[in-house]
Formats: sequence, structure tokens, C-alpha cells
Amino acid sequence: MLDLIIRFSPLVLVLVGAAAVMLADAFSDKGQSNDLSTVTFWAFVGASGGAIGLWVQGDTMALHPLVAPFLAADPMALLLDAVIAGAGAITALLAGAYLREHQMERGEYYVVMLLAAFGAMVLVHSTHLLSVFVGLETMSLGVYSLAAFRRTSPRSVEGAMKYFLLGSFAAALLLFGMALLYGATGEMELAAIATALVEGSAHNTLALLGTALITAGLAFKVGAVPFHMWSPDVYEGAATSVTAFMAVVVKVAAFTVWVRIAVVALSAANLADPFSGWPPLVMGLAVASMLVGNLSALVQTNVKRMLAYSSIAHAGYIMVGFVAYAHSAAGGDEGAGDQALSAMLLYLASYAASSLLVFGSLIWAGSKGKEVVSYEDLKGLGRRHPWIGVAMMVGALSLMGFPPTAGFIGKYYLFQSAVNVGDGLIPLVIFAVLASAVGAFYYLKLIVVMYMEDQEQEAAQAVPMRSVHLWAAIGLAAYFVFRIGIAPGNYMEIAIGAARAL
Amino acid sequence: MGIGEYLALGSILFGIGATGFLTRRNVLIQLMSIEIMLNAVNVVFVAFNRFMPSNHMGQVFAFFVIAVAAAEAAVGLAIVIAFFRLKKTVVTDAGDSLRN
Repeated sequence: MLDLIIRFSPLVLVLVGAAAVMLADAFSDKGQSNDLSTVTFWAFVGASGGAIGLWVQGDTMALHPLVAPFLAADPMALLLDAVIAGAGAITALLAGAYLREHQMERGEYYVVMLLAAFGAMVLVHSTHLLSVFVGLETMSLGVYSLAAFRRTSPRSVEGAMKYFLLGSFAAALLLFGMALLYGATGEMELAAIATALVEGSAHNTLALLGTALITAGLAFKVGAVPFHMWSPDVYEGAATSVTAFMAVVVKVAAFTVWVRIAVVALSAANLADPFSGWPPLVMGLAVASMLVGNLSALVQTNVKRMLAYSSIAHAGYIMVGFVAYAHSAAGGDEGAGDQALSAMLLYLASYAASSLLVFGSLIWAGSKGKEVVSYEDLKGLGRRHPWIGVAMMVGALSLMGFPPTAGFIGKYYLFQSAVNVGDGLIPLVIFAVLASAVGAFYYLKLIVVMYMEDQEQEAAQAVPMRSVHLWAAIGLAAYFVFRIGIAPGNYMEIAIGAARAL
Repeated sequence: MGIGEYLALGSILFGIGATGFLTRRNVLIQLMSIEIMLNAVNVVFVAFNRFMPSNHMGQVFAFFVIAVAAAEAAVGLAIVIAFFRLKKTVVTDAGDSLRN
């Protein structure tokens, strides 16, 4: 029992944090300000530290047989635990600043956030269809309620309702796919599904249908075209601190579980065939996401909406990794496959750091009464408030993929891993590079607006908020953007180790 | 009855739910459609389990789906109530303040 608590200490710490925040909120006097965001921050830092400690210790002992089929404590799960908890810690600080400034701080926000992050962490640990489903729903239900947190705002509630309806629909598709896969193989453990599929005892049509439905359900969660309709609305409607959490934690967890399902369960030759299984499907999703995401982001006037479309485009880039993995696995080149998977993991971490920096700067630039949401609000910001301008610029450059930031390293390794697979993927990589060149246009527009344009009326200018929480969050996000960007070596090794152990 | 009939029943139910979800504009009916889809999945899970009784995960999964569906309905109805308070209607067409 104690062994299990230690092996899953990141999850346990997040749960303990949720309980502590709940109690602290219940027993505190009304109106008295207490710093729940700091408690949440330390719970996440503890979870992150626990994950790093477990990774260093490198315990590979078998888990208790009651838990073993459902959850793994392998290097990939621990790496992503650290990323999710780290992103959670930064969003907790952002929420502490944002919610207090806009006077909507209530204790349940932090509880729901911790529990949603717990669901995300269950998801990255899960090795069984049941724990995938339960983890996904734990995370999603939390995020639905967070999206509706500003419940007097029609936009917030409307976005949350769209997210909830489409999310539940996607969950039903995913479930039906799981049922068909179970029917095809008679198994629910991901490794056992793979064995049944490889041995050929599985029903082929059912397995193919199940794979397609599961892919569609997961594509919805990561916001890939054509399952992306919800994301701009939710990103725009939700409170900015929620948008940051959603953009990072949900995407990271959903991609991780997708990696695990694709690599562990759906690796049989007929399903993972580069030309007839899920890889062409994922390639279609990737191309559509890069195309639609980048082109739609160009025409947005609202920065949060632009970031939503840009996150759709980023989902497209990450899916290139899946295609690269499938091609190298079919060619029997295990090293290239591991490289593709590790590039995806590194991309997720760098995307998380850069998005948090951009959302943090957006929060920073506004204060009670006037939030910064459109390009109009950003005009001249870089000259009026140089620090905010620098933070936003670094974040935007990193999302764009400009050296020496994290985004550059992420894109570089990802595209390189696809090129290494062979000539077959070069057209896809060229397309991805062209798509990121289109992306550069709207990120640069952000910078141009901040430094080279002036706002017409002085009165409409937003006043930046002042909060130690916020500065700490920006500092942390900026640190990771440069840390991954300048010295990615050991992060790269960790990611390759995680991919190899999968 | 063989597995084919159960699978057909489950698929038809799922199709009815999906059609209802995609064509109706009343949030409550859309929620009911989602419930139909989840229950269709339960039928499929339990039927597969009946014909492949190597372990009982299919039935266990059906219980989990029922529990999660209840939680989902709770969160969903809360969001619908918040929506109704603001818009005085539960028709999804009223949610048109977020546009490109």
C-alpha cells in the first residue's frame, strides 16, 4: 500500500492538495482573503517534484496486481506528470492574479482545477481502456465547469455549453470505439489488445472501426480539424486563466494518452500500416489542422481566438510525429520511431511553456474593468509597458518557432525526426514548414501591433495589473521557454528515455 | 440471439442518439441523445462480454459508464441552468454571441 502511494505520489499529492484547498476554503471566514492559489501552487510543485524524484530513482519494480493492469508508472507517465504539474503550478499563480484582480475568486476554482489536473495525470498513467475513459472524463468534467466559471458572463457559459455538448458527443464516439475494440479482441488492457491484434485472433473489421472512432474521439480532445469547432469559442469565452489551463493541460494529457494508445495498443501491422491503417487518417487530420488552423488564425481580431486557432495548428504539427512514428515502425527502424515520439513529447513541453507565457502576458496587460483581448487593445503596449511587451514577444516568437526559444527546438526536432524516416514524408514536412511560415505572419502581427502602432483614444488604454503571483508565473514560464530553447540536451535525453521505455 | 443482433441493436441505438444530437436544437433533448448513445455503448459492452466471458471487464465498464454518465449529466445540467438564467431559453441557437 505504502509502495503504491510512493509510486503514485504525484497523483496523491494533487489529491491531497485538492482536499487541503477544500478544507481551507470551508473553514475560512467569508470575505477574509486567504491565498488558496499559493496552496494550489505548492501542491502542484510537490507533485512535480515527486514525479522528478521518482524518475531519478528509476524504480522498475512491478506494481501491485490490483493496479498494474490499469495504471503504469513508467518514465513517460512521470515526465508528463512533471509537465502537467508544472503547467498546473503556473496556471495556479495566473489564476491567483487574474481572479483576484477581476474579483471572481472563489475557492472551488482551485479545487476543480486540481481535480481536473488529477484526471489529466491519471490519463497519462493509464494503460487500460477503463482508466483512459475515467481519467478523460475526470479531466473533461473539471474543465467544462472551469470554462463556465464566469457564470454571469453569457460568453463564458455559452462557450462552456458548446464545449460540454461536443465533448460529451466525442466521449460517446470514443466509448463506442472502445466497445468495438473490446469486441474485436476481448481485451481492454492496451498491451493485451496489441497481443490479440498481432496474433490475428481479432476481428479485423471491428478493430478497424474501433480504431477510427477512437482516433476521432481523441482528435476532438486535442482540437484537431475537423473536430475543432468548439475550441475558438471556449478559448474566447472562458476566463483567461482557464483558457491557459485548458490550452496546455488538456492538450498535453490528450496527446500523451493518444501516443500510448497508438503505440501500445494499435501497433499491429494491419492497423498501423502507413498507407491503410490509422496513419493516413492522422495525416489527413494533421494537414487539415495545419491548413485550417493557420489560415483562420490570420483573420482573427481577438487575440484569444487567434491563439485558439494557433493551438489547432500546433496540434497539426504534433500529429506529424505520429505519422513519422508509424512510417519508421513499419520500416522496422525503432530508433527513428523513438525519436519521433520523443520529439512529440518535447514539443508538448515547449508548447506548454510558450502558451503559458503568452496567456500570462495577456492577463498581465489588463486589469479590473478593461481586459486585453483584441489587437486594438494591444496597440502601442510594447512601448508603454516594455516588460509586458518583451514577455509577450518572447512567447509569440516561441510559438512561432524562433531560435533560441523552446518553440524552435520543439519544431526542429519534430520535423527532423520526420525527415529522418525517409523520403516518403518530405512533402508532409515541407507542407508543415510552409504552414509555420504562414503562422509566423500572425505572430509577427502581434509584435508589430505592440510596437509600431498607436491607439487612437488614450482613454481606452488598458492598465496593467500588479501582482507578485503573476510576475512569478511569467518568470517561471519564461525560464522554461529559454531553458528548453538554449540547452535542450538533457530534456531531449529524458524524452528519448521515456519513448524507449514505452 | 447471437452477437450480431445485439451489435445491430447497439448500433441502431447509437445512430438514433447521434442523429438526435446533431439535428435537435434543444439542449435538454441533446443531453438525452447523449444518454441514448452512452446506453447503446453499454448494450454493446455487455453483449460482447456475454459472448467472450474471459474476464468481466465489459460488464464492469458498463457500470463505470453509468456512473460517469450521471456525473456528466450533473455538470451538463448545471451549465444548462446557467445558460437558461442568462438567455431565458434552452435552445442552442440562442448561443450566438461567439462568432468569427
